[in-house]
Amino acid sequence: MKWTLYLFILLGLLSCKEDKPISTTQVIQREGFINIINEPSEKIQVINFWATWCAPCVEELPYFEKVNTKYDDVDVVLISLDDVEKVTSTVNPFLKEEEIKSAVYLLDDPYAAEWIPTVDDHWDGAIPVTLIKKGKEKYFINKAVTYDQLEEAIAQFR
Amino acid sequence: MKIVKFLSLSAVILVAVVITSGVIDTKVMGYDVAATIQESGYKVGDVATDFSLKNIDGKMVSLSDYKQAKGFIVIFTCNHCPYSVAYEDRIIAIDKKYKELGYPVIAINPNDTETYPADSYENMIVRAREKGFTFPYLFDEGQKIYPQYGATKTPHVYLLKKEGPRNVVRYIGAIDDNHKDASKVKNHFLEDALQALLNNKKIENTYTRAIGCSIK
Repeated sequence: MKWTLYLFILLGLLSCKEDKPISTTQVIQREGFINIINEPSEKIQVINFWATWCAPCVEELPYFEKVNTKYDDVDVVLISLDDVEKVTSTVNPFLKEEEIKSAVYLLDDPYAAEWIPTVDDHWDGAIPVTLIKKGKEKYFINKAVTYDQLEEAIAQFR
Repeated sequence: MKIVKFLSLSAVILVAVVITSGVIDTKVMGYDVAATIQESGYKVGDVATDFSLKNIDGKMVSLSDYKQAKGFIVIFTCNHCPYSVAYEDRIIAIDKKYKELGYPVIAINPNDTETYPADSYENMIVRAREKGFTFPYLFDEGQKIYPQYGATKTPHVYLLKKEGPRNVVRYIGAIDDNHKDASKVKNHFLEDALQALLNNKKIENTYTRAIGCSIK
């Protein structure tokens, strides 16, 4: 029965946010993406759109990592807009290098004009942008954020 | 918990059904929803400012230099952005085709070169030579022009039509709807707008969206 004990310890470790492993990229298509955007969440969900080639995005990633580990009521979802061919060569090595532990998806859908408005009508496609939601409430940030701005935006949902 | 899961699952299915059945088609799939996406700068119908910006050959270029033009394809673009790079060949092709018809491409690099050293004036010259740009590639020194237009990202297109002494904005947005693969483009937004102008027809999609690199 020793293995069940190990299993419990392992599960216990995994459930601690601080000890989460470094993320790897999950590739999603339009349908999965729409589900993420539209599904009402119980926790405060912070969805950030970024790419490894986007300097202002990379600059603000640590703020999202910080709120993800700091708050139990916040779930951060990072949606990469890198090309799907770059997952193993660029995106996953980047996650390792930067020790990203938030959930990372890569949206493999070049027809951005079709899915951008599902996030927010005011988004013209420049990144970074961030969508914060809880239940049916949504708040869209159409630019890069500072750590304080991110904290403030999240606090509105409490 | 099971009920909550079931409810959220059915909500997701409902949303998926609504989207695929096209009930909220215009909102979700529409390109031309409204001018909501152009928060600052020009809207379609506004008169665009002329400028005098330094080209990669060292000469200053203004829209007023082009006496014969019917209008202009002003594209904010740069060196460092993979989305801009993905469109370079398509921009060259569009310039070759449409400058003969009165609509030359005028490319402008709006970025701060301290933020993006790859977008320096010297690197613009290098890139234009490598790719054989057929159009002027201007440097928005001091970043005075792009905020007036309201460009937010690269590439970002403003299609202007000459009406008397004025250059009127007729289309704002993307070149087409697939940055990755030109052969899989479903909507040639810019070319459709150009064809409409050339044929004196109404432009169907006057604002379109595309992912791009934020101008800094």
